[in-house]
Amino acid sequence: MMSYFFQLLVSGIVVGSIYALAALGFVLIYKSSKVLNLAHGQIIAAGAFITYALTGWVGIPIYLSFLLSMVITFFLAMSVEKIFLRRLIGEPIISIIMVTIGLMSILDGIIFLTPFGSVNFSFPQFLPQELISFGGVSISWTQLVGVIITAIMIGGFSWFFKKSTVGISMRAVSDDQFASMSVGISVPRVFGLAWATAGLSAAAAGGIIGNITGLNFETLQAFGITVFPIVILGGLDSILGAVVAGIIMGVIQQFASGYLDGNFGLNGTAEVLPYIILLIILLFKPHGLFGIHEIERV
Amino acid sequence: MSTNRWLATGNYFTSYKDEQRIFITHLDRTFFSIFISLLFIWPLLFKLSNKYMLVIDNILIAIVAIIGLNIVTGFAGLISIGHAAFMGVGAYTVASFARTLGDSHVIITHAWPLLILLSGLTGAVFGAIVGLPAMRLKHLYLAMATLSFQMIFTWTINFLEFFNQGQTIAISNVFWFTGKLGRKDHYFFWYYVLLVVVILSGFMVRNLLRTRYGRCLGAVRDNDRAADAMGIHPGLTKVYAFGLAGFFAGIAGALHAYVYRGVGFESFTLHHSITYLAMAIVGGLGTLHGSFWGPIAIMTLELQMESFAEYAGRILPSDWNLATALKPLSFGLVIVLFLMFEPRGIANWWRIARSYTKLWPFRY
Repeated sequence: MMSYFFQLLVSGIVVGSIYALAALGFVLIYKSSKVLNLAHGQIIAAGAFITYALTGWVGIPIYLSFLLSMVITFFLAMSVEKIFLRRLIGEPIISIIMVTIGLMSILDGIIFLTPFGSVNFSFPQFLPQELISFGGVSISWTQLVGVIITAIMIGGFSWFFKKSTVGISMRAVSDDQFASMSVGISVPRVFGLAWATAGLSAAAAGGIIGNITGLNFETLQAFGITVFPIVILGGLDSILGAVVAGIIMGVIQQFASGYLDGNFGLNGTAEVLPYIILLIILLFKPHGLFGIHEIERV
Repeated sequence: MSTNRWLATGNYFTSYKDEQRIFITHLDRTFFSIFISLLFIWPLLFKLSNKYMLVIDNILIAIVAIIGLNIVTGFAGLISIGHAAFMGVGAYTVASFARTLGDSHVIITHAWPLLILLSGLTGAVFGAIVGLPAMRLKHLYLAMATLSFQMIFTWTINFLEFFNQGQTIAISNVFWFTGKLGRKDHYFFWYYVLLVVVILSGFMVRNLLRTRYGRCLGAVRDNDRAADAMGIHPGLTKVYAFGLAGFFAGIAGALHAYVYRGVGFESFTLHHSITYLAMAIVGGLGTLHGSFWGPIAIMTLELQMESFAEYAGRILPSDWNLATALKPLSFGLVIVLFLMFEPRGIANWWRIARSYTKLWPFRY
């Protein structure tokens, strides 16, 4: 019984850390430009598919194609920002959010055009198949490597924001756009960079989750949409919040599917629980766990 | 008021009451009544095949839904990504009667106008509940609340045995004074019902916007602090906007259930919510006649896309999933392009065309 608990906990942390990586990009865009990017799930899916296309069809080794897909989505997200969102700076925030809804639809359409929309693929196995187990808790190599890469990337991002000049300028823009303009930071450039880094982290999350669960567009979409409850739980503008809430949500989902499903006549609770949590959070603690309290109130 | 009640050559309003008239001149009123009576007469003159009648019925259903979405997104400025779910609430209200009483119970076949109204009220209750976070929060968060309602709705329908786990729940044909409707007259009959519902809801919203309750929506959208200072409760106003949107969505959902003679969850997914949002944006947010233009434009686009996909499917390799891809692609493009280049939607073209013909041949 106890080992079942720990097994669920471990797989929850695995999924949760990937959620954290995916949510990171979302928070980044929100923090710098106050745009709620509803197309984030589709960028995650696109990252996974680009990784697969490079390995499976072009034949590049998976490590390289993982990096390459991050580079591609980096520029993809940057150009999305440049083409669509740059013109809308100064428009009411509601129309910018609706533009991201439109982008979500466009990206859906583009993915449906490719074989990924209808056929399921899975990555070639490049890691040992056997499970690593200690004390009754087992974890596959894919999961372990995924968690390690995720941890490294989250660490890298934290360093980037805390120490590097570009990261500091991004934080400055999120704090006060006029003040940062007056000290010589190019605000549009920072917006572009925020989108680009968000795309990069989304592609990384997509690549890792694609390796673990296989490439099914609907699963990846559901994974992408779960990012929204996570960022609300963590607080929309907190990177730490995104990481913590991602792990919490992953663990909750695993426990739900481990303990609730099949017990009280319930089924598939992991899919719906995040949204119930989201509604409850919105009603009682809308700034989330780590968000700044001066959120927009009526 | 000008002395000539037939032609207004300028703005001669002398009181607020004058300005709030629905029809400024007698000419407007005449044209409007001719237009409405043409809408009633034409199906008697031209017999359309059931396929196209269904398309027209679909457009009218969408118009009812978009009138609701326009209240919440256009007039009150709150994004709703769950409008299809609210429609689903209405449709499943009818379906739950069908499940408990059997699909041809007298309530469903004879008391359908009441049932449609009841679906609207259920939709309103759900809308108000989902809008409750609006008491404390602004649009960003409300988009999330409606999104989560959409996801919870889809899950609930797919999960509950009572709702046949999302499989189609049949609803039988209704009775009219002439007896049970046959297959042939089905879409024809519902065209008239839908037309009446559309006209009624159009007048309802038009009148709402002239009252205090309608104006407070716009006031809260434009500046909630100023609205608060004038004695409007911004939170309650938003909850009430969500309730109204839910009401129209519920009615549209119930009508959808009756027209299709069945309810299945696949008509109320996130994709549909986005399509409705596209309709509202294309038509023109925050205008009443935008709610009519949007569905017409998007449904026509959808038809064109379908025939194009059928045509292109013969040339292109079969693993090109064109039919499923074109819909989200074109809707997304339409949303983005309209927001970037014509944020006021087709309603604005209508306005330009109107003022052009009014002033012609003088330009200013």
